[in-house]
Parts: sequence; C-alpha cells; structure tokens
Amino acid sequence: METLDIKLPQMALLYGLCLLPWLLLWLIGLRLSRDIGVGILRMSIQLALVGIYLKTLFDLNNPWLNGLWILAMLLVADFSILRRAGLKVRYFVLPTFIAIAFSILLSTAYLVILVIQPAHFYDARYIVPLAGMILGNCLQGNVIALERFYSALRKNENEYTTFLMLGATRWEAVRPYFREAVKAAINPTIAGMATMGLVSLPGMMTGQILGGSEPWLAVKYQIAIMICIFTSATLASIINLKLSLAIAFNAFDVLRDEVIEKS
Amino acid sequence: MLPIIRFDQVSVTAHDKTLLAHISFTLFAGDKTVLCGKSGSGKSSVLRTLLGLHPLKSGMVYFQETPLTPASVQNIRSCAAYIGQEPILGADSVREALLLPFQFKIHRGHQPTEDQLIEVLQRLQLPKDILKQNCKRISGGEKQRIALARGLLLGKKLYLLDEVTSALDADSKQVVFDVFSDPQLTVLSVAHDPEWLERCDIVFELEAGRLTEVRRHGNP
Repeated sequence: METLDIKLPQMALLYGLCLLPWLLLWLIGLRLSRDIGVGILRMSIQLALVGIYLKTLFDLNNPWLNGLWILAMLLVADFSILRRAGLKVRYFVLPTFIAIAFSILLSTAYLVILVIQPAHFYDARYIVPLAGMILGNCLQGNVIALERFYSALRKNENEYTTFLMLGATRWEAVRPYFREAVKAAINPTIAGMATMGLVSLPGMMTGQILGGSEPWLAVKYQIAIMICIFTSATLASIINLKLSLAIAFNAFDVLRDEVIEKS
Repeated sequence: MLPIIRFDQVSVTAHDKTLLAHISFTLFAGDKTVLCGKSGSGKSSVLRTLLGLHPLKSGMVYFQETPLTPASVQNIRSCAAYIGQEPILGADSVREALLLPFQFKIHRGHQPTEDQLIEVLQRLQLPKDILKQNCKRISGGEKQRIALARGLLLGKKLYLLDEVTSALDADSKQVVFDVFSDPQLTVLSVAHDPEWLERCDIVFELEAGRLTEVRRHGNP
C-alpha cells in the first residue's frame, strides 16, 4: 500500500490553514505574527534539511556514516541536556555523554540486532530513526533528572549538610534527592506507557500506519520503541546523576557553586 | 592532655569576602566555649569551617590533633553534633528523626532501644508521645531538644551549637544547661543569651572575622 504524496499546491494549501489561528489570535489582541512566522519557517527549513540528509543516509547506507550521524546526535543531545538543566557544559560534558551514549547504544543495538534483526545491523532505515526517537525521549528524562537533583540539593542544602553531620557519606546524604530526581525523570514515560492508545495514538505508530504498515506491525514497533525509551531513559538518568556526583562536589562533599550556571 | 580542636592561623574567604582572618584557638575536652560578636563577624563560619564546609584559604584546623582533610572530615562529622537555630530533623515523624542517623552505614547496628529513646526524651523533658508527632507540627524549642536528643543517642561528645537556646523557655533552657554541665561534653557555641554566656568557661569575641578577645571564667 503506497502512501499518497502531498503535492506542492496542496502543501501551500496546508500552510493556508495557519491563517485561521493567526486571524483568531489577532482578533483577541495577541500580536504573535512574527513568532508564528519564524516558528513555521524554522520548522519547514529544519525538516527539509532532515529530509535531505535522511535521504542521503538511506541512499549511501554506509556503516561509518550512520555511526557518525549517531555520534553527532549524541553530542547535540549532550550540550542540549546540560544547557536546559542549568549546568555548566565544560564540567559535565563527559559524564553526560558517557551516560547517554551507553544507554542509547545499548537499547538501540538490543532492539535492532536481537529483536528486529535486519540483514545489516547498521541499516540506516532502522538505526537512524530508532536511535533518534530513543535519544529524543532520553534527552527529556536527563534534563528533568539533572535539573531536579541539583535544584533540590541547592534548595535543601541545610538538610543535606545535616545528613552529613549525622554521619552520612556523600552518597547516603544525596540519596533522597537522587531517588526523587530519577522518579521525576521516568514518570512521564511510565505515565505515557500506561495511557498509550487510550488518550492518543502514538506518533510512530500513526506514521507507520500512514506509511502503509499493517496496524499489528505498527503496534509491535510501538511497544518495542516504548520499552527501549523506558530502558534508556532510566539507565541514562541514573548513570548521568551518579557520574555527575564526582564532579559536582568538592573533596569535603560540599556542592561546588561554579558548576551551576548562573540563572 | 591533647587538644580536641585547634585552629591554627585559619583564614577563610568565600566569594571574595573574608569570613575568617588568622583565627587561632585551642579547645580541650570538656571545655564550654561561646563565640560572640555582631552579625557577620564570623561566628557561624567558625563552626562551618570546623565541619569542613568552608575551604581554608590558609592555616589549618585540627581535630584530635589530626589535620582536617577530605579523608579525615568524616571523623569530626561523626563525632560532633551540630544544632542550629532551626534544626532540620530530616524526617516526617519525631521517631523517624531520632532513628535517621542509624540508617547510615557508620551507625548501623547501634540503633537505640525503645527504653533508650524514652529515657533520652525524659532527660530533655519531652513527653514520650512526641515520638508519634509530625516534625512539622512541633515547636522550634522542641525541634532543638529533639536534635539534642539525637546527638545524645549517638553518644556524641562534641556539640556545635548555633543559638541553641534562642527558642527555649526558661525550663527547657535549664534542661539544656543541665545536659551540658556534663564534664565529658565539649561545647563550641554561638550565642547572645547572657545566661548562656555566663555558664560558658571561655568566651571568644569576634569582629569582622578576627578573634579580638578571649575571656575565661569559672566552670559552669
């Protein structure tokens, strides 16, 4: 079953649909024309570029090029996680990279090599979109984990110090905040799994169905990707937080001010 | 007798501000000491520095004649009880707060019995049903006595007290005075309370991070 193409005039028609919300926003006095215009333009250009490079990757299907692409995605995610979590990139770039690279590579390799089993494990059609989807979700989890952990620690500095004074080691003293941060990081994924299919149809499944796949096959892929997202988000959050502890504290177990980005 | 605490020309700065400048003093086991001075004179910084919470710019702090280093800091932290103006109990109920330190590896296996819990509460004139109460619902004075009870249960001999009598009524204050009259307990405190000052045998006067005067009087 072929997916119907959207021709250029129809694409133009699609953009025309945006005029309706724009008009409504204008009528209620919200002057967002510039933001809407920039948003739509950026989305279109970015996705057009994605289309070009994905096409190139799929055509070449070179294991090194595919690997290089995953490496680039990991690096971008690494910087993005730290900026959004309010931590200084130069201190945490390595632990975050190790955490996300290990988790993404493990879950993607597990899914592709053991579960899907394509002719070539490096097949761009599988590893690039799957690693991208897992990484995207893992990124959100890591931002929440790091942000929650370090803001809780700063907010509860006196409590943390009290634990140290009562004889706790650094790990024992940070453990309550560590648990809360990991819980906050994986809760959206767990909640997403619990309501999947009831509240909305997941994007990947919808895409596959529109692409001509049988619903059952799309369901199986959706389950596979959700399990990998859950696994990698949990692993990456825990590894990332644990590795960051060695950098964020001085030798006397005091949180170093200089590792946190000034807000 | 070896000193229990020794500050040797200790200077501490934080964010380019001098907190302590060339502070030197020595405390022996059983000394009851109080740090006095205006707000910002560095009284609390002395306590925090002793606990390794401020990096030293110069000089050295010794605990039981061992220099304070990352490797030895756990020793003073596990030997000293720090009790602040509004102590943090770190648990929901009073019972959990009292038992909290016994979850940590260093104190595991030394959990007090029910009788020991009640005995320490009685010593501090706290009713035994306070054990069931939520820590958020007890007064500042009760919190201070619970923090003190925790120190006593841990068998601590060194007490670092920051305005510990500020939230106590006359009776509770007397109870705290009685506890610290034990000659085995060493006290380094921050206080303004004249009654407390009178009961301490050494008074350190601080001004802008400098030790300006040391007064010694009779034992409490």
